[in-house]
Amino acid sequence: MEPPYKILVVDDEPDLEPLMLQRMRRHIRAGRYTFVFAQNGIEALERLNEQDDIDMVLSDINMPRMDGLTLLEQIPKVDPNIRAVIVSAYGDMKNIRTAMNRGAFDFVTKPLDFADLKITIDRTLSHMTEWREALSSRDKLVALQNELNVASQIQQSILPTEFAQGDNYRIYGSMDPARNVGGDFFDVVHMEGGFVGLAIADVSDKGVPAALFMMSTRTLLKGSAIGIGDPGKVLGEVNELLEEDNDAGMFVTVFYAVYNPSNGELAFANGGHNSPLIVHADGSSTFLPLTKGIALGVMPGLSYQEQSIKLAPGDTVFLYTDGVTEAMNTEGEEFGEERLQQVFATVSPQDPQAANEAVFAAVREFAGETPQSDDITCLALSRSES
Amino acid sequence: MGVTTERQDNTLIAKSEGRIDGANAREFQDALDAAIDSSERAVVLDLEEVSYISSAGLRVILLTAKSLQKQDAKFAVCSLSESIREIFEISGFDQIIAVHDSRDEAVDALKN
Repeated sequence: MEPPYKILVVDDEPDLEPLMLQRMRRHIRAGRYTFVFAQNGIEALERLNEQDDIDMVLSDINMPRMDGLTLLEQIPKVDPNIRAVIVSAYGDMKNIRTAMNRGAFDFVTKPLDFADLKITIDRTLSHMTEWREALSSRDKLVALQNELNVASQIQQSILPTEFAQGDNYRIYGSMDPARNVGGDFFDVVHMEGGFVGLAIADVSDKGVPAALFMMSTRTLLKGSAIGIGDPGKVLGEVNELLEEDNDAGMFVTVFYAVYNPSNGELAFANGGHNSPLIVHADGSSTFLPLTKGIALGVMPGLSYQEQSIKLAPGDTVFLYTDGVTEAMNTEGEEFGEERLQQVFATVSPQDPQAANEAVFAAVREFAGETPQSDDITCLALSRSES
Repeated sequence: MGVTTERQDNTLIAKSEGRIDGANAREFQDALDAAIDSSERAVVLDLEEVSYISSAGLRVILLTAKSLQKQDAKFAVCSLSESIREIFEISGFDQIIAVHDSRDEAVDALKN
């Protein structure tokens, strides 16, 4: 799959076509995208049937003749490999949820933020590219190995790679995937009012079903995050949605926090995940208290306790997965929480990227020749000193 | 990843050993499924000899707990090492699966 990528935009608002062409003109001129337009679901299906080189669909929900949700059900009948992104009203969880259940890959909210839309389009296209490559190589590989490749490609495609920095905070996250196993992911959600959502998670099990479970967790989390806000309620809602139709007993541990840059407040809730570390400017650190939350997807009707702390200027909240603390050395010892704290005694945590790299380096040095058995994932937010 | 069984009173004790992680969780699940008959009324999983459980291993234990619940049977785990107990606490599994210090304590608890 190579550029230009052809994107079908479906919206009954006639002004969107000139606006899209105008805002995306640089990328169109650079030969990256071409656009096709349709005003409703029926027209969209006509375009899809006429043109077999359409790579993705960006669709509004409310439209005459055939709405976006119905269109979503029809797209796979034309081409099961086309991915759709839905445009919804801000916080419209009901429709977002239905769209996700019907196979939408992601969503953006109105009014359209074109910078954000570009990131979402690129992420969808990169996912599609990897998906198609995986499909085309599937026949050549042993089934299990291939399945793991597909899973890891899905996983890679949902991780953020660019981090928007705030006036008084910095964010960085990264993952060092295990060769075969793994179910970690993280996400950063920017919300109205400048609030920043931080999520880190670890899905049980491996393979394609686990990767798809991960994908829906990420999307439901993002949807609930912008629709609800409060971390405890967000985890409660995502738990309900994941628990439905989860016969495979899959679950995911999630730590979710909302940071308020205007006063440094960090509200958080924990669904069975390792407690993050708060690192102070002088290198001392403390773990956030455990809040007794149960991993998501296990059982319905759970509530998640919400707590909040204040990050002082110079403080960093460091989120990680058990791939860090449970990494083993050749003697069978675990890296553990104390060694994690020791890393920050020597490295300034205030550059989140440097902090991540220092932890990765320390774990690697500790593990030595021992093969990495789990993903290692870190996500850090630092509040600036001044 | 084998599972051995024995019987204490009317309780089935299933026991495994070593590491239970993504690489052998499937094997562990198959062995456990084979060991537990649908007529069992009480099952204890003894983790004394298990050194490590990853989330994939926890999932197998969760599935076992759920399927035993469906057949109206009681279930508990016992003799967890400190690090495995910690994994149960962090994930919140200690709130949905009964955890006991010893095998005898678990068997006693399931009698009632």
